[in-house]
Amino acid sequence: MNSETKMRPVTEASHSTTTESLPEDRRSFLGIVIGLIASSITVVLGSIIGRYTIAPALSAAGQPEWADAGLLDEIPEGEPVKRNVVVSQEAGWGRFNSQQLVWVLKQGNDITVFSAVCPHLGCSINHAQKGFICPCHGSAWDAEGKKLGGPAPRGMDVLEHRVEGGLLKVRYQYFQQGADQKKPLV
Amino acid sequence: MSATISRISKLYDWLDERAGVKQLLRGALDEPIRGGARWAYVFGSTLLFLFALQAITGIFLAMYYVPSADHAHASVAFIQKAVPGGALLRGLHHYGASAMVIIVVAHIAQTFLFGAYKGKRELLWIVGGLLLLIILGFAFTGYLLPWDQDAYFGTKVGTSIAGEIPVVGPVQQRIMLGGTELTSLTLSRFFMVHVFLLPLAMALLVVLHIYLFRRAGAAGPTHNKDDHKVARFYPKQLLKDSIFVLIVFVALLLLARFMPARLGPQADPASDFLARPAWYFLPLFQLLKYFPGKWSLIPTVVLPGILFALIFLLPFIDRRRERNPLRRPVATAALVFLLAGSVGLIALSKYQDSMNPEFSHKLNRQEEEANKFLQTAFQPQEIGRSIPVTPPDVVNPSVTGSAPLKIFFANCANCHGADANGGTFGPSLVNLGRRRNLTSEDLAIWIEGHGREPSPDSMPRYNQLAEEERRNIADWLLKLIEPVEATAGEPVSAINGEPPASFSASCAFCHGDRGEGSIGPPLLWVTSKPNRSKEDLIKLLKNPRSYGLDDPMPESFPDLTEDEMRKIADWLERLRPSQQ
Repeated sequence: MNSETKMRPVTEASHSTTTESLPEDRRSFLGIVIGLIASSITVVLGSIIGRYTIAPALSAAGQPEWADAGLLDEIPEGEPVKRNVVVSQEAGWGRFNSQQLVWVLKQGNDITVFSAVCPHLGCSINHAQKGFICPCHGSAWDAEGKKLGGPAPRGMDVLEHRVEGGLLKVRYQYFQQGADQKKPLV
Repeated sequence: MSATISRISKLYDWLDERAGVKQLLRGALDEPIRGGARWAYVFGSTLLFLFALQAITGIFLAMYYVPSADHAHASVAFIQKAVPGGALLRGLHHYGASAMVIIVVAHIAQTFLFGAYKGKRELLWIVGGLLLLIILGFAFTGYLLPWDQDAYFGTKVGTSIAGEIPVVGPVQQRIMLGGTELTSLTLSRFFMVHVFLLPLAMALLVVLHIYLFRRAGAAGPTHNKDDHKVARFYPKQLLKDSIFVLIVFVALLLLARFMPARLGPQADPASDFLARPAWYFLPLFQLLKYFPGKWSLIPTVVLPGILFALIFLLPFIDRRRERNPLRRPVATAALVFLLAGSVGLIALSKYQDSMNPEFSHKLNRQEEEANKFLQTAFQPQEIGRSIPVTPPDVVNPSVTGSAPLKIFFANCANCHGADANGGTFGPSLVNLGRRRNLTSEDLAIWIEGHGREPSPDSMPRYNQLAEEERRNIADWLLKLIEPVEATAGEPVSAINGEPPASFSASCAFCHGDRGEGSIGPPLLWVTSKPNRSKEDLIKLLKNPRSYGLDDPMPESFPDLTEDEMRKIADWLERLRPSQQ
């Protein structure tokens, strides 16, 4: 055989070549073995990746922490005031300490702390002349956080608080949106 | 059963009429392989598998990874230590990179040895050469991404080498680094190249490589006698390919599981880390040792340049039709020389490191540190802790005479400084409440030592203090917003008279003329510390080691009589700050 033939792509090969043919049952047996190898690799890799991907969705929400909302003396009487609290949230590789907004209402010895997260879709609730409104979809509450109107399903969410050495402390947490009753996220 | 089969075959027909599946599959599987299936041909398919594996694992690693110098290391540590399956996924990607380098060398060696680049296959071979460069580019850019010590210092050396190339070097180095130094910008660049540019280039060139290969056809055996029979790619060659792929995959899984991919402590540019490149760059690293100064261009630029020029020009230089490796002695010898030389250089580099006591000690210690880091539990990174919180306006607590101040001087001041604003060993305690968002209970518990293992470099436990004392000092510390004014560093008043001569002779050099502290800790309020009563002090001076005091406190004071020791202890007991 001359070397010219050898270099040519096999599709143009000379007639001296014969194509090897296997019996059909052997062919399909080998096909099954190949299929098993391919699917086992896919299953193993897929299960590793699946677990890895859904892990954060399965972990429980962090426990709410007590956060500092400033000096009690600085809170005016009868008028809701904005306070920033630092909330610590663990998310994967970091613990993120971010500022969150709360509304504090002092009436004599009574203190009420409202979360500024709208129970409808989570916008920030603003203070209006006679109570609170949510600027996104127009929900309104009175100065005590009772719902007056709009799409919000319930009154403003009240947060636990305590006073310690003249400092107001708030237990900041998130609640389920869209539900009629206040229910903490766990 | 047969109904299901007929339904499947109907679906297949439906698909085929619209997408031409049958022809596509036949084209892929019925590729003729001259001379029949062989184990020598498995490397190409394995590389395709490894590329897919790297792409899939890489995409999912990016789900948690953050390409920023501040967070890259924390995010990789999170993947490695905390995410279920993260260590396996990262291990597959890490060892997959090495496997790719090994298999690509095997693939090229096989092609070269079988003369399979001959016969109108120049483009196929050149695209293969480009793919080799891309794989090395992947290895180089991926090495930096974990941002640990290995990554930082390895890449620093690598980019410096690139900067030595004449004329274009310095500019090229700056473009690579995104500036003059290795910074977060460098990391972003390497990340972009590693996950966007190179995969795109690789995918396009892989498609082109396979297209050109299918067009030219498999080269077949080098001996004429095997040439008469032709087999199809499916099933025998595909089975061999699948078995080898399975072996590689299982090997990678076992490595990832039992030898977790290395991750050292976060990059610390100030440390004197001993950098070593990844194993596949060791031959160049070793050659660098033999070409000092300006000659270093030979191993870094000239030799790789010649090698790649030869690779790209090979099908044009070698135009003989002979493919039998035994009848191509120069080519075969060159390949053996190159492979044996590379392996030899890797071995030599490892051997030299192991024979140099200083290097081997340091490399071992670095490995221990990396292992230790891998084994410690994952600690999330604190983000935004320093945001000042609408702070309570507390008045600085009274600085003189209070009980907490006394506790502070006796227990805390040695490490945290007499003014509480940070000392040799401990951080500043001023504004602790605002900075750390601590409650008084938290701090009291910390002082007591719960949840803290005693170790030489951590704060000792103070469980010898009464619970009330701990709460008092915690309250006091949380209100501390300015440094304490009554520093023990002030000259101590004559309340207790001049120090005894024996104190000046034996103690003052380290503890200060009046016990205010110098290299040694201040001795103010020393007798209120646990195990430091007057009697204790006398015993301590007789045998400091029995009180757990190490160097530089002397082992004993042979010059002091017991009477002199008592005088010193008496004087120390009455030592007061000057303001009082």
